[in-house]
Amino acid sequence: MTGVPFVLPALAVLALLILFPVIYTGVLSVTNEQGVFVGLANYRAVAEGRLTATAVWNTVYFVGGSIVFQVVLGTLAGIFLNQQFRGRAVLRSLALIPWVVPGIVAATMWAWMLHTEFGIVNHLLTSGGVVDRSVGWLTDPDIVMPALIAINVWKLFPFVALMVLAGLQTVPHELYESARVDGASFGDEIRHVMLPQIRPVLVSVTLLLMIWGLNAITIIYTITRGGPANRTLVLPIYIYRQAFEAFAFHQAAALSAMFFVFSLVLVWLYLHAFAAQEGRP
Amino acid sequence: MIRVARLAAVGALAASLACASAEPGREIVWWTPSWGQARAEVLADKFEAAHPGVTVKLEVTVADGLPTRIQTALRSGSPPDLIEAQHAWVVPYAQANLLQPLDDVIEDRGDFLPASLEYDTWDGRLWAIPFRIETHALFYNRRMFREAGLDPDTPPQTWPALVDAAKTLTRTNSAGRRQYGYAITGGGEVGNTLFRTLPLMWMNGGDIVSADLSRATVNARPAVEAVTFYADMLTRHKVSPPSTLQDDGLAIRRLFVAESVAMYQSGPFDIAPIRRENPALDLGVMMLPTPTGGEPAVALGGWSFIVPKDAKQPGLARSLVRFLAESENMGYFTDTFPARRSAMALPRFADPILENFKKMLTYARRLPAHKNWLQIVQVYFDHVQRVLVGDVPAERAMNEAAIEIDRLLASP
Repeated sequence: MTGVPFVLPALAVLALLILFPVIYTGVLSVTNEQGVFVGLANYRAVAEGRLTATAVWNTVYFVGGSIVFQVVLGTLAGIFLNQQFRGRAVLRSLALIPWVVPGIVAATMWAWMLHTEFGIVNHLLTSGGVVDRSVGWLTDPDIVMPALIAINVWKLFPFVALMVLAGLQTVPHELYESARVDGASFGDEIRHVMLPQIRPVLVSVTLLLMIWGLNAITIIYTITRGGPANRTLVLPIYIYRQAFEAFAFHQAAALSAMFFVFSLVLVWLYLHAFAAQEGRP
Repeated sequence: MIRVARLAAVGALAASLACASAEPGREIVWWTPSWGQARAEVLADKFEAAHPGVTVKLEVTVADGLPTRIQTALRSGSPPDLIEAQHAWVVPYAQANLLQPLDDVIEDRGDFLPASLEYDTWDGRLWAIPFRIETHALFYNRRMFREAGLDPDTPPQTWPALVDAAKTLTRTNSAGRRQYGYAITGGGEVGNTLFRTLPLMWMNGGDIVSADLSRATVNARPAVEAVTFYADMLTRHKVSPPSTLQDDGLAIRRLFVAESVAMYQSGPFDIAPIRRENPALDLGVMMLPTPTGGEPAVALGGWSFIVPKDAKQPGLARSLVRFLAESENMGYFTDTFPARRSAMALPRFADPILENFKKMLTYARRLPAHKNWLQIVQVYFDHVQRVLVGDVPAERAMNEAAIEIDRLLASP
């Protein structure tokens, strides 16, 4: 009991920093500008909004697309970097660059590299004869989201690789040896030794990627602001626009609360499907 | 413990220093956009010299996201003392009770272009002091005209002639490079596309909202025709470059400077950068083409000084505005034209390239003043983008925009 007074200040600060905004958002979402309780009116307005469904779909598309490629590419890179070869240390450091570069810098750089007219990517493709006309990486409505997913994958796959690498280094050497004695090929080693051993790592990394993906705003806002024609409007950008461009704080709060539940459901589904089995002794 | 005590002492010292520098009546904070920074510094020094003990602290802003940042600052309760804002933002701010009236700051109103003062007036009071005014006109590359067999001395005057010229200018040039006839904007801040489409509606007898601000007229025929004419440059005639949906005014200027684009619409603020970045470019400026037999129209743009309601130094801010609005200082500070007629006589406004911009000023109109205007424009721009992407035809997009705009016009 004597410890309680000592942790109280820290608890108070935590409550202020975490609980207050959450509760205040909840209060905002059920009141109007005069502070009068309006029930679920803000939620109804948001649900009926023309862009809400678009934003939800774009968010699922962006997060889903990013995670699949981040995990696959990251795992392959991690396995590769775990092999013995000359220059491994240098390559390991280089691979981390995308993750270390600040998001805003990376986003601005990619925005210029992918510009339809001035971008180096189109310049290389057209001068190399790969395509005859400039590709509208950020203007073609069907290409812009895959392009942003690719940038997000580039940004975060090194993180997955790093975690996989760390996981692989805890795998006891005896496991590989006994597998080889049984005549396992490298492919068998990956499937039957490495992947089962790093499964817990992958499960938690994927959860992190999901949470980060749902909250990602830097890359998309910097590069497209949600455009063209709302093709890349994800929920965080939609909330930001409602709050700070339209100054509809109450609707933005309702949208945030719905987004919170939406994220919670996604995370719960994920944990239910994968992590629960892991938890069994 | 000793370390804690030392820290506390340092903290107290820092706090007392902070108090000293924030002594009332000393410092004015002035938000100025990056392009006028050098001139703002000169004027700030001049003002400080005339007012001993006063410091003017410049905080430099950038165009990108500026309306949002100003709104947030005005609502934060601790805004700067003086802000440069576009004319069209002023009345919505005043209606939201975020500004101080500035009626007593200028005496000789007759010297100002009347439309510029109208822009900043609401409820019988003046809420800002206009200092910079401008309109768009059409920049064109005279060499590219000649090479395509067009006469640079008789540029197109009507919409059909503009489309014809743009089609002729869209080709692969002698150096084997693809060039485009007429660049429109489809990205960036909403204002870019607003200033390039609203005048088309006006010339065609339409508007985004009715004159009494009671209902949306963006889905009426004149407005839909104007949006169609604009979007067709990209979707039908393909005379605007493929990057259109990510291009703002700055991007199309760069394409023009690189001679990838033969014509584009912009204001006189682009003259200096074009001459600096490509001195060899044979530059021409024409009036905006009109529908056959129509009158020109163009949106009056430019900037005003505002003093936030919660400014900490309202008295000093007013003195600074009065100083900056003096004819000579205004003529020096403006990037384009001064709002004062007397300042227009300065030699810097005698350049012949400005001739058609001056003519366009006589057809200038102000944007509608409604407190939800920024949101209305956002909705409008969203739907114009849908047309540019090719999702829906202009008529359907504008019908859907009208429903949302009507709601914004009616909301309290």
